[in-house]
Amino acid sequence: MKPILLQGHERSITQIKYNREGDLLFTVAKDPIVNVWYSVNGERLGTYMGHTGAVWCVDADWDTKHVLTGSADNSCRLWDCETGKQLALLKTNSAVRTCGFDFGGSIIMFSTDKQMGYQCFVSFFDLRDPSQIDNNEPYMKIPCNDSKITSAVWGPLGECIIAGHESGELNQYSAKSGEVLVNVKEHSRQINDIQLSRDMTMFVTASKDNTAKLFDSTTLEHQKTFRTERPVNSAALSPNYDHVVLGGGQEAMDVTTTSTRIGKFEARFFHLAFEEEFGRVKGHFGLINSVAFHPDGKSYSSGGEDGYVRIHYFDPQYFEFEFEA
Amino acid sequence: MQDAENVAVPEAAEERAEPGQQQPAAEPPPAEGLLRPAGPGAPEAAGTKASSEEVGVAEAGPELEGEAPGEQARDERSDSRAQAASEDAGGNEGRAAEAEPRALENGDADEPSFSDPEDFVDDVSEEELLGDVLKDRPQEADGIDSVIVVDNVPQVGPDRLEKLKNVIHKIFSKFGKITNDFYPEEDGKTKGYIFLEYASPAHAVDAVKNADGYKLDKQHTFRVNLFTDFDKYMTISDEWDIPEKQPFKDLGNLRYWLEEAECRDQYSVIFESGDRTSIFWNDVKDPVSIEERARWTETYVRWSPKGTYLATFHQRGIALWGGEKFKQIQRFSHQGVQLIDFSPCERYLVTFSPLMDTQDDPQAIIIWDILTGHKKRGFHCESSAHWPIFKWSHDGKFFARMTLDTLSIYETPSMGLLDKKSLKISGIKDFSWSPGGNIIAFWVPEDKDIPARVTLMQLPTRQEIRVRNLFNVVDCKLHWQKNGDYLCVKVDRTPKGTQGVVTNFEIFRMREKQVPVDVVEMKETIIAFAWEPNGSKFAVLHGEAPRISVSFYHVKNNGKIELIKMFDKQQANTIFWSPQGQFVVLAGLRSMNGALAFVDTSDCTVMNIAEHYMASDVEWDPTGRYVVTSVSWWSHKVDNAYWLWTFQGRLLQKNNKDRFCQLLWRPRPPTLLSQEQIKQIKKDLKKYSKIFEQKDRLSQSKASKELVERRRTMMEDFRKYRKMAQELYMEQKNERLELRGGVDTDELDSNVDDWEEETIEFFVTEEIIPLGNQE
Repeated sequence: MKPILLQGHERSITQIKYNREGDLLFTVAKDPIVNVWYSVNGERLGTYMGHTGAVWCVDADWDTKHVLTGSADNSCRLWDCETGKQLALLKTNSAVRTCGFDFGGSIIMFSTDKQMGYQCFVSFFDLRDPSQIDNNEPYMKIPCNDSKITSAVWGPLGECIIAGHESGELNQYSAKSGEVLVNVKEHSRQINDIQLSRDMTMFVTASKDNTAKLFDSTTLEHQKTFRTERPVNSAALSPNYDHVVLGGGQEAMDVTTTSTRIGKFEARFFHLAFEEEFGRVKGHFGLINSVAFHPDGKSYSSGGEDGYVRIHYFDPQYFEFEFEA
Repeated sequence: MQDAENVAVPEAAEERAEPGQQQPAAEPPPAEGLLRPAGPGAPEAAGTKASSEEVGVAEAGPELEGEAPGEQARDERSDSRAQAASEDAGGNEGRAAEAEPRALENGDADEPSFSDPEDFVDDVSEEELLGDVLKDRPQEADGIDSVIVVDNVPQVGPDRLEKLKNVIHKIFSKFGKITNDFYPEEDGKTKGYIFLEYASPAHAVDAVKNADGYKLDKQHTFRVNLFTDFDKYMTISDEWDIPEKQPFKDLGNLRYWLEEAECRDQYSVIFESGDRTSIFWNDVKDPVSIEERARWTETYVRWSPKGTYLATFHQRGIALWGGEKFKQIQRFSHQGVQLIDFSPCERYLVTFSPLMDTQDDPQAIIIWDILTGHKKRGFHCESSAHWPIFKWSHDGKFFARMTLDTLSIYETPSMGLLDKKSLKISGIKDFSWSPGGNIIAFWVPEDKDIPARVTLMQLPTRQEIRVRNLFNVVDCKLHWQKNGDYLCVKVDRTPKGTQGVVTNFEIFRMREKQVPVDVVEMKETIIAFAWEPNGSKFAVLHGEAPRISVSFYHVKNNGKIELIKMFDKQQANTIFWSPQGQFVVLAGLRSMNGALAFVDTSDCTVMNIAEHYMASDVEWDPTGRYVVTSVSWWSHKVDNAYWLWTFQGRLLQKNNKDRFCQLLWRPRPPTLLSQEQIKQIKKDLKKYSKIFEQKDRLSQSKASKELVERRRTMMEDFRKYRKMAQELYMEQKNERLELRGGVDTDELDSNVDDWEEETIEFFVTEEIIPLGNQE
């Protein structure tokens, strides 16, 4: 089916995310606009205005009441999803790279870049205690001295966060004490993205080392590897099939001749258990920066360096396809 | 040197007591101790150090010996000195501690006795005390090296001696200052040989090199030798020693790979930007690794022409590997080697290094014997020419090189010039050996009124079997057909009255009497030309991009050259014939994005059009069954991979290798089957193909079975893992409910009752577009 093209950004897309039900799609880009769309038809529901720099990350809580965004304007903002009203402005010393609501939606987490002489921190705020927000005083701040965090998500049940680092390391930090619970290094280069499965028992990482890998959320045990020839910027797990979609490509600065063919800006589908590729979707004119599966598994979206977001509904063949086994 | 300080105390005391005695360490040990490698008292372990020290002293010995009194006592000391040296290796601390009490002992005595106690150990070496003096000690070898002996000098009486001396002086002082001369006489006449001494050995060497063979007059040709050489050659025993039998090194079967049951071929792959090199069996399914080594070569690898050896390049030289385990077979030490070339018979290796060429000792190009590993001959490399500088004849009997106006042909195994003479060919531009016989083709450009000339010369007779004159020639290129049946000279000409260049292909039919020549004229720019390896067809790429055409010609038995077929609008810049002929791959490498066309020239059909994006290389396997296209890291930094195709252009494999650099097929030696046997096989092809088809089917079904089996186990493992994870997930259900205020969010529709229905309106815009003109 023909994809739905969402044109709401002037710069390259940095992250896209569905809410839990999947009716809404949040998109952020290197422009200050935060967009929210109806996923069913690609109509724009509205924007969240206030940021003054590139927005790196976005998240919505489980009941889609609040939206959280982190930006290079050194702020993390909390919005009322329905009205678009800015509920809180948390100033930071450096750009906010990742952010997220915990399982219950009452604790927020965000990480900041190692930048301008400031080191990388992960900050935790409990929304049930308004004083933390009012005074901009997180109940916990985990310093991260070695390699900065480039991607992070909440672990299952909000007990921990799972962070991917510039060095390729994965750390599981306790959300209560801040200590490192598990540390693994399976990637050799920067981890660009981490996305959990629907049941949150496992997650997939996307790395600059041309691979995406599947891990167990609790033990961080490595399960599967999906290999490509290009840096992987984002990977998402299908909620109802054993499928994973990878998005990425060669950065323009890394190739001598710029051509969409050499960049390989395709979304690539792999079987989760066999690690075999079974399909590709072309379309973007630049690398893909973020991919997301609709929670019902019937469509997926990708946001690219070209500034477009594309919503793809799968053809019937996709659901019929099976590996011989 | 800590111990030296400690030792200094007793030493100084000694000096005061016996002022008449020289510094003890300077004393030479007695003569009998000189030649003893290690005194009887010296333990075995001390051997090397002690003896080397004594030898050092020995040279200083004779001069000083006379002064030394009290030989007896010192004899012991020299012995013990050796012992001390042995202790030196053991531990300095022990000795330092020893020195301490000794000093005290000396100090305590009422009447100081400065003489050494019985067991005194003198542990200071001469080197330590006066190394600087020892360095300048006279050496026995001085002088002899600078003496030369000149034979065949005229025998003269005293009356003419002065004159002779003048002449000799004139000739030999060119090489350096003559410090001494000696003319032995007998019966009033000189003996006919003389001795000359130079100021330095270098001059003497120079004189030997340059004056040996000097013709004084008709009767007298000087023979000049180093005096030391006489010594050397005198000591050669008169009796012939049977050379020691070299143990036979069993290298195993170096051609084992030809015995492979499936008749698979091998290839080498360099990847990880040159850090790793692998050898694989080529297999339709997946390549099978045979050997993989890190840093096997420093630059690239080469197979020998018959595939016996794999050559690797190193800063210090070339190594050859072979046999089943790819063991090292031979090493050739050539510092900074960059290029190599094998002789077609695999007997000789030519190496080139831009480093370390010296005037007297040519080392830029070295020819080696592969079997013995010995250097056969070195050559200078004065001019920058195309590699290979030396071109081998097809059987490896001759090799030739071109320099300004000269063609030098050498013969093996002597490595000397054929008939001791080079050929003078003024203006020679290029030459090439026939791959089918000892015939050399070369061409000479126009010179004023003399036309350009292509000459075919038989060797070793040097008989010119065919000369062809050509006019208005800009450039010529020589292309031999692989069997040597035909020679094509591509001649770029600017005919009078026309502008621009036209190209003629002058086709020499080598197997016919008088070598008849036919001409094909081409008006368009020629991009590439290639002969069919075992046949009489050739392919030409011509035209200007993007209008490039390929033409196939056939040289008929009657000499007529027929255009079989022309395809226009080709995306190609290179022609790759299958080594067996008939099939050809036209490739648009690099800038042409890697377009590929697989053509069957028997009926001139394009079997397949394909593409390997950005491909930089195309390599046929030696049997003509498979083709590999590759994107090398050396030319392109991304998507480095090699793809395997059948000769019809069906893609079999895509092998991505990190920073893949180079793939080379292992060549096969020529077949041992006779023409009749090959014919018979071709006749029975149907019989064989049935067997092979069966085999293929079997292996295919086996392969798919294996794949399915592998997937099944993977799936099972994955299911097991998922089951565990899901159990944990179910256990945590209550916690989840609690965290989300009792709302079950496990499934998308698990709380349908709470859903609020919302109607979304889709706006459909309506636009009226008038059709046609409504007047």
